[in-house]
Amino acid sequence: MTDSAVLVVIDQPPYGDWQGREALDMAFSLAAFDRPVALLFRGPGVNWLRPGQDAGPLGQKTVSRNLGAATIFGVEALYADTTSLAHFGLRDMEPPAETVSPDAAFYRSFSHVVQL
Amino acid sequence: MDSTPAAGLPGYSLVISGGLYSSQAPATALAFAKALVSTGHRIDRVFLYGEGVSLASALNTPPSDETDWTRAWQELLTDQDIPAFACIASALRRGLLNQQEADRYQRPAANLADGFVIAGLGEWVQALADSDRVIHFPGGA
Repeated sequence: MTDSAVLVVIDQPPYGDWQGREALDMAFSLAAFDRPVALLFRGPGVNWLRPGQDAGPLGQKTVSRNLGAATIFGVEALYADTTSLAHFGLRDMEPPAETVSPDAAFYRSFSHVVQL
Repeated sequence: MDSTPAAGLPGYSLVISGGLYSSQAPATALAFAKALVSTGHRIDRVFLYGEGVSLASALNTPPSDETDWTRAWQELLTDQDIPAFACIASALRRGLLNQQEADRYQRPAANLADGFVIAGLGEWVQALADSDRVIHFPGGA
């Protein structure tokens, strides 16, 4: 086991299925066991960070509210892919995430990369 | 099949998150697991997550001329004494319950197949810590 973090990648939009929520549970679980973990939002997954979400009419919980607690629970970093943000016209993010252009070196800096 | 793990070879854990009939993941993972065993590698544990928990239902009843993936996995798990866990949150959401959970939530039946145990994500976290390699079989696999 190395000390470097696990990267959990969310590349599916919120609300369409449960993959993203279950990926988030993995990240929170790592944090609960004091394992360093970071989240990367990529592709349609950047819509997790879209401000002003209200999933009430869908009968679901608003994901950005869960996500807002990520750093409180010990998730070390939230990353968002710059190209995907531009593609989906996102300028503001809620909660704020660090914009990155993930390349091979970025992924290699983590001990494990998890994508559901 | 040689069932004696060779010293010095890396130990593996397998994570299956692709569904039984919505992906190839459980079948691909089984082929991979058999290849590991046949080459003397150690499999520390198998962890089912998300749609992957569908593999562990004792009620899966494919036609007799199709592979019964649940039974095929059970045979490998038993033969090689490999612990296999189904994530409790994923399992309960999808109607996969052992007797204890069926009693707890007052459901009329339990359907967890023999050879599988319901457990928390901590088992996956432990796999990351214990195994030299953690191989993930997602829905696209």
